Amino acid sequence: MLTISNLDLSYPGYDPLATLSWQINAGDQVALLGRSGTGKSTLLAAIIEGAPEVTKRSERIAYLSQQPALLPWATVIDNVLLGFKLRGTKHSSDLTQRAVDLLDQVDLGALAYRKTSLLSGGQKARVALARVLIEESDLVLLDEPFSGLDRSTRIQMAGLCQQLLAGKTVILVTHDPRDAQDWLDTAMVLTKDTIKGPYRLNEFGSDRALIQALDGDL
Amino acid sequence: MNRLLQATFPFIGLISLWWLIVFIFDVPHFILPSPERVGWVLVERFPLIASHAITTALEIICGLILGASLGFGVACLIGDSKKLTQLTMPALVISQALPVFAIAPILMLWLGYGFASKLAMTTLIVFFPVTASTLAGFRAIPKSWELTFHTLRPKRAQLFWLIRLPLAIPYALSGVKVAASVAPIGAVVGEWVGSSSGLGYLMLHANGRGQTDLMFAALLALCVEALVIWSLVNRLANRFDQNPQVIS
Repeated sequence: MLTISNLDLSYPGYDPLATLSWQINAGDQVALLGRSGTGKSTLLAAIIEGAPEVTKRSERIAYLSQQPALLPWATVIDNVLLGFKLRGTKHSSDLTQRAVDLLDQVDLGALAYRKTSLLSGGQKARVALARVLIEESDLVLLDEPFSGLDRSTRIQMAGLCQQLLAGKTVILVTHDPRDAQDWLDTAMVLTKDTIKGPYRLNEFGSDRALIQALDGDL
Repeated sequence: MNRLLQATFPFIGLISLWWLIVFIFDVPHFILPSPERVGWVLVERFPLIASHAITTALEIICGLILGASLGFGVACLIGDSKKLTQLTMPALVISQALPVFAIAPILMLWLGYGFASKLAMTTLIVFFPVTASTLAGFRAIPKSWELTFHTLRPKRAQLFWLIRLPLAIPYALSGVKVAASVAPIGAVVGEWVGSSSGLGYLMLHANGRGQTDLMFAALLALCVEALVIWSLVNRLANRFDQNPQVIS
């Protein structure tokens, strides 16, 4: 699905970061753990923007970050269908119905025509998830998508991701393994020098175990 | 009522201070006329002051409309391209860095002593704040948003009209609000350099004839006019500014 060969994550003028090679197979769902500043988001940006070191089998990538990138003046359903509007595709009634169905699945069906600025943080995250789903992308990149949310909403989001992203290739970037433990099994660890793994996420039962497993780098 | 008191309090304080200075130091009226003397001139010469105030108001309003439209338009043209912005930025900065006093005589020479030169000067002074603010709006989109939109495979024009432009509008309106507060400078400087009407002209005219009270009355009228225009622009801008600037 995705092959990364000798991608240098360093930024000019900053401390050097890892140069990594990594292969992700179709259907893999993996958490990418690492401290802040190790280049996790840079890696996702390189995948999305198509850096020469990245070979993708599909151009259909979905991305969900901590900032859900929802237009505050638009309605919930318009935000879900934003990709179609941006591509200039005409809305069919089937498409609108599909958006409503997806909003039902993330428990927001009743708010489909509400202005997005009126939603809570958790609701906004679910709208963004519905937009990811309607795009039917093969590869889903999640960049700390739950980090602004309270614990119970995080657990709810993890449940939705587990249920709705089944079968897709997923990379979940996070610095908190609990976000991943709720719905994923495998993790890779990005340090300033290298990428390590795979680890079983249940190996990181405690913070101490996690720090020990990661040579004190997390 | 409370808001009215709040709004008028600084003026009452300022006028009281003014009156006290005149009273305590017994300042001659040709140096600093008392507030009641200026008030009396405002009433007595109202038709004259009003006719000049209308000229200045027209220069300010037309300059604001033209300068804001040009500033917004230029920002839209160059804002979509980082290279174009970098290329044109020096020229834009120069347009602001040159004092209007320095170019006023040139504009008089080219456009004459009438309305056009004052309009040009006001336009010039309004242009930069609007351009700079709108450009800042185009640049304010966070990286994570850019990446999200990239994955939605947008057409460039759709991305501009549906996202970049609406996100830049609150910034452009902030620029217009700033521009509204500096626009009178352009108009008045233009009138000082050469004109036959306007509050700037009236002030110079009164000064030349030792009519300090009329000069102060014209200055007061200019203050009120600038404040009214600024308030109107602010109200209008807030009405259009429906998009929260906070990106979430």
